[in-house]
Amino acid sequence: MNSIDPRIHQALDGEIARESLPPELRRVVDRLESAAALLAAAFPPQGAGLEPRVMAAVRRPAPSGERVRRLLRWFATPQAVTFRIRPAWSLALAAAIVLLTLVPAEERGPALGEHEGIAQFVGRFPDAHSVHVAGSFNDWRTGTIPLEDRDHDGVWRATVVLPTGAYEYMFVVDGERWVPDHWADRLVEDDFGRENSIVIVRATWR
Amino acid sequence: MRGNPSDTEVVARVLGGDREAFGLVIRRYETGLLRFATRMLGSRDVAADAVAEGLVRAYRHLASCRDPSRLRTWLYRIVANRCKSYLSRRGVGDVPLEEAPPVADSTDNEASLERAEQLALVAQALARLSPDKREAFVLKHVEGLSYQEMAAVTGERIPTLKMRVHRAREALLQVLEDHA
Repeated sequence: MNSIDPRIHQALDGEIARESLPPELRRVVDRLESAAALLAAAFPPQGAGLEPRVMAAVRRPAPSGERVRRLLRWFATPQAVTFRIRPAWSLALAAAIVLLTLVPAEERGPALGEHEGIAQFVGRFPDAHSVHVAGSFNDWRTGTIPLEDRDHDGVWRATVVLPTGAYEYMFVVDGERWVPDHWADRLVEDDFGRENSIVIVRATWR
Repeated sequence: MRGNPSDTEVVARVLGGDREAFGLVIRRYETGLLRFATRMLGSRDVAADAVAEGLVRAYRHLASCRDPSRLRTWLYRIVANRCKSYLSRRGVGDVPLEEAPPVADSTDNEASLERAEQLALVAQALARLSPDKREAFVLKHVEGLSYQEMAAVTGERIPTLKMRVHRAREALLQVLEDHA
């Protein structure tokens, strides 16, 4: 590829006036500008017709976020549980309970599904009035998953049950400041040039 | 909303709960974004998918747009990243150029046919550039962004972008001269 006279670049970049160029260089500038104008003119300015499609998606609630919200709501709501059991099985159940009580158990977490795990979010924000976590698991909605600082030591915590997988997230401090979690498993650059944290939720089902 | 609200006003309306106001953002920027994505991907249909996905993503993350007065460059950044994602999924940086040049209709004269041929030639030369150079050239000369705005879109330094634009110009000029 041949390099071209640097004055052509300077004129096209607006660093020098094109009138200052000799005619043969001005012709090259015109040629390049005409080529660019052709590329632009092939698109009529009356719109691309994307509005109905995009607005339909905008009006539709995001499915994954809704699923997570439903799950969180289910965990937060009291549930009525009814057992129907044969007397013979009730004896076996009683024996199992006695065994479990007598045998020292390892620390047990909440019973989760095969494809669920627990994500813990911890961040130190001594001057914050509120901290939330927003991420791909709740469709990046702020204000849905609050962290708590019960002992007022500036360390905010939240524990969330999520389907297994890797999720991007950030902390939202005082409703407006987006802060990555530098203690996260990993950090990744997002589409907006910022670093998102990654949490990997593994199954804790036993 | 009154006549021609600024981007900052529109973003505030959307974040305040007026979801339908996002339609104004779409109408304002879809043509430029689609033009940019088509030049990057070589197909208007694929570009429409990339832009639509980008706009939905922009709506969902609108609260994280730190400077709504620069909404335009923020949108270009999202769509540019969608395009890169499509290109990397395709495995190579070149574009298929499935889009045919404009077809002449019965009223076309010789000048418009020549214009269509020129467009096909330029589009092919553009498609042969690496995605980085193609992106830089299109942002600069087709979308008319300043180098500063291009830096905000691409995350690259201005000298790097200038170098890419210069190389792209040289490659295009070479093709144009070969076919002169």
